[in-house]
Amino acid sequence: MTVQKDPEGTEIRHLAGSSVFEDQNLLEIGCGEGRLTWRVAPLSGRLTGIDPQADALRVAAAECPAELRETVKFVRASALDLPFPHETFDIAILSWSF
Amino acid sequence: MVHALKEIHRTLVPEGILIDLRPMAASWAVELTSGTFQWEVGRLTDDPQAPVYDQAANKTFQEAARRGWFVRESKASFSFFYYWDTPEEMEEYIREEWSDFIQQDEALYAATQFAWANTSGVDRRLRVRVKMHLARWRKR
Repeated sequence: MTVQKDPEGTEIRHLAGSSVFEDQNLLEIGCGEGRLTWRVAPLSGRLTGIDPQADALRVAAAECPAELRETVKFVRASALDLPFPHETFDIAILSWSF
Repeated sequence: MVHALKEIHRTLVPEGILIDLRPMAASWAVELTSGTFQWEVGRLTDDPQAPVYDQAANKTFQEAARRGWFVRESKASFSFFYYWDTPEEMEEYIREEWSDFIQQDEALYAATQFAWANTSGVDRRLRVRVKMHLARWRKR
């Protein structure tokens, strides 16, 4: 089953137009297998992707592009209990999560 | 989910940004494309609960605003496309991945097959136009 999602890049264009991501510390909530992560991370300083699904995070970690390995990390977590200190992130993206 | 927004508020720096990005139930259009042309074959049928989930999410954000955690700075919508090379692939994907929020519509699948069979063009593809919601909220 082959599906292609947003080949036009409409989502990242709108996202990039909504905020300034450069040099920002991002939290992506509901990163899944990293589809959006790979598009947002190059725009930002650092990105932490969280998801409660361990299988999805394994795929994301395995498929992380080499040029993003220094700036992207993945954590298994739920938005209901974020394992981060107060005032850690500049921007949080609720990514297809509600 | 109000608690989730409280957690996000806690981990954001002062004046930090929360971006709400999600698909909205909107009887998404199934379109056939070929070259620069596209036309609507039909529309998917939302599960009756899908708009309820959207409204619940909206109310959660309204509650967060009422509590003084965030203020909305912008709101927009745009189209996000899923593409498939054949009607069979599209139908299989919808049955397997979207059954929680899309009702299966055999008449639409048949209409898609008919339209596909009566369209030429080596670059023809099928797509679903998903309505996306994008809002930016600032921490107060």
